[in-house]
Amino acid sequence: MKSYETPIERRRAALANKQGMTSNRRISRKTRDNIIGYLFISPWIIGFLGLTLGPLLFSLFASFTDYNITSKMNFIGFDNFKRMFTIDDLFKTSLWNTLFYVIFSVPLTTAGAIFLSVLLNQKVKGMKFFRTLYYLPAILSGVAVYFLWMQLLSPSTGLVNTFLAWFGIEGPAWLFDPEWTKPALLLMKMWSVGGGMLLYLASLQGVSNSLYEAADLDGADVIQKFFHITLPMISPIIFFDVLTSTIGSFQIFQEAYVMTENGSGGPGNSLLFYNLHMWNNAFEVFDMGYASAMAWLLFIVVMILTIINMKIGKKWVYYEGGDNK
Amino acid sequence: MKKGLLFIISAFLFIGILAGCSGESAQAEKTKDGKVVVDFWSFWGSETRRPIIEKIIDDFNKSQDEVFVKHTYLPWGDIWTKNLASVAAGNPADVIINDINTVAQRADNGQSEDLGKYIDDSFKEQFYPHLWETVLYEDKPYAVPFNTDTRLLFYNKDAFKEAGLDPEKPPATWDELEEYAEKLDLKDGDRYERVGFYPLWGSTGAASWMTSADGGKGFIQNGELYINTPKKQEALQWLLGWKERLGEKTVQSFEAEFGSEQSNPFIAGKVAMWIDIGTFYTQIRDYGDDMNFGVAPIPAYEEGSGNWSDGGGFVAEIPKGAKHPEEAMKFIEYLTGPEAQKYWAMKNYDNVANIEAAEAVVKELKGADQYVYEATVKNLDQTQMFPVPIEYPDYQNRINPHIDNVLLGKTKPEKALEKAEIDVEKLKKN
Repeated sequence: MKSYETPIERRRAALANKQGMTSNRRISRKTRDNIIGYLFISPWIIGFLGLTLGPLLFSLFASFTDYNITSKMNFIGFDNFKRMFTIDDLFKTSLWNTLFYVIFSVPLTTAGAIFLSVLLNQKVKGMKFFRTLYYLPAILSGVAVYFLWMQLLSPSTGLVNTFLAWFGIEGPAWLFDPEWTKPALLLMKMWSVGGGMLLYLASLQGVSNSLYEAADLDGADVIQKFFHITLPMISPIIFFDVLTSTIGSFQIFQEAYVMTENGSGGPGNSLLFYNLHMWNNAFEVFDMGYASAMAWLLFIVVMILTIINMKIGKKWVYYEGGDNK
Repeated sequence: MKKGLLFIISAFLFIGILAGCSGESAQAEKTKDGKVVVDFWSFWGSETRRPIIEKIIDDFNKSQDEVFVKHTYLPWGDIWTKNLASVAAGNPADVIINDINTVAQRADNGQSEDLGKYIDDSFKEQFYPHLWETVLYEDKPYAVPFNTDTRLLFYNKDAFKEAGLDPEKPPATWDELEEYAEKLDLKDGDRYERVGFYPLWGSTGAASWMTSADGGKGFIQNGELYINTPKKQEALQWLLGWKERLGEKTVQSFEAEFGSEQSNPFIAGKVAMWIDIGTFYTQIRDYGDDMNFGVAPIPAYEEGSGNWSDGGGFVAEIPKGAKHPEEAMKFIEYLTGPEAQKYWAMKNYDNVANIEAAEAVVKELKGADQYVYEATVKNLDQTQMFPVPIEYPDYQNRINPHIDNVLLGKTKPEKALEKAEIDVEKLKKN
């Protein structure tokens, strides 16, 4: 009998003996462990390969073809990509609409969420009630919210314009006026910043009081404390929020699909977002090759922006650990 | 021991996944008594339509020794994408209800079967010719028309009397339409209580008016573009005139209420003349509180230029690669035959493609039911279909924004239509 160093090894050996194995088959047992492990995660692996990676690669291939689901799949090189920039005018419109939306929605919702979370971080009576109140919109599901807002934004009878009328302001026609459709969506988005607010609230509560006390001793006022302590301390969360909401904003689709007539992209194509145009190409005219190419172009654009974001992030995000990683 | 158990559990998981992937192939192709199963896909799943189509299927099944039709309901939003996926996978339905205006597109893309070999030349005579034309691709039928619709002018007779107009003399031309509409407007200060007429409300659009002005010529006819024509420019200017007269605010605030209100503005008495399809009558009948109304063909651009109307509808077709095309065709023949079509029309108050059935329905209906249905059937003579041309699949999306811009006062009709034509031309080069 060998002597074993740890109880675990002793137990393993005992188990091995019981199953008629000897200790020199330890490697094969490792392999066996691995196999079992893989078998356990096989539902996920198969799902990933079959339902995510497979279709992803297929669409990459399809983006270089004139694939139309049923009869065509000829390799046409970069023609789809050329078409976006030379022939398809709606591509430019949709890209511009999407960029407009991203440029305004990301800063507005981020600032809105931070502002709200700072307010809700005060020690006032009934704060829990207010927190619940402001978080509430975030739990309502998409399409129902859109319908609600279509009513709120109704030009003559909607609550928004009725409210504006109290102050003698004649409200715009919102979803019926191409100049106001995107601001209308932004307004709707601002209403549901509760999700981001919750993240900030959590991180605000993690900011150590000693920092504020030290600042107090140095005579800093509220605004100085906010910009020199609060913001840097929650900057990792801001970074995370900006990154994910940028990606999310590029994917805007449902709002335009639901809130415009027949999902057409609104008056004067003012709500024809990139994904809506892509969807129309894919599922209205079944030009799958072109739609795939659009999808991959968006992927590349978002990828580049994310990398830029990551690079810039290093300059302004403060990590308490100190090594900036 | 434990590891053995783990192994077994994980192996089961793995097998479970594999088994999950192979569900669809177990579909029965024959019934127990040896009849061939024909899988029929439709989007008619509502409480009113489902029993009607299932009764038709039932009647057919009872009359058959060899074929058994199985109805599969798929929601409107899914049915055609699912159809394409199943055609691509080589396992489609045997019969599907599809859009009438895109038959040629599907034929061109190899998504549907040529039905020419199953039917003889006289078969097409059962159907309205303008419908039959839409199912042809390279002179071969790729579908059989099932139902259709047509647009009419509905007008409020009480409002006519109130405004001093003869309720038996609906407007016949655009000029009359304008004249009547102004008389029918009802204002309280600056606010409109009732709008006489607005050409872009109801079941119509700028394209229809432009077509009507142009002697019934659509944007694309036989592969030629007729987008930037003088008459179409004029029609667009005319539409803009309506908007300017009522004012942007009035139009927008009325429109915003259409969506949110349960009742239709025509039925609610807020709009005195309204263009809609024949089945709109059932809403008036059911919710109109004995409303006194009349129907007329859509007014002509000028006397004798034609009371053009446009229509849509659905066809029955056999997806490419269907397993039992011959049996499927038997069912399609029944579905589009006089008996089933008459039943469908009577129950749904829908316009059907089969001439004999439509005429039988006109005879059988009574009162107002008959009055409106007869008007729709007559109107089919002046109804045009605008199937989507193969070379310009997405053309409407290119034209509409330019029309929007004109109606928003951003561009002049000439400029907008010129640009629209260029945009559509670009589509073709592709």
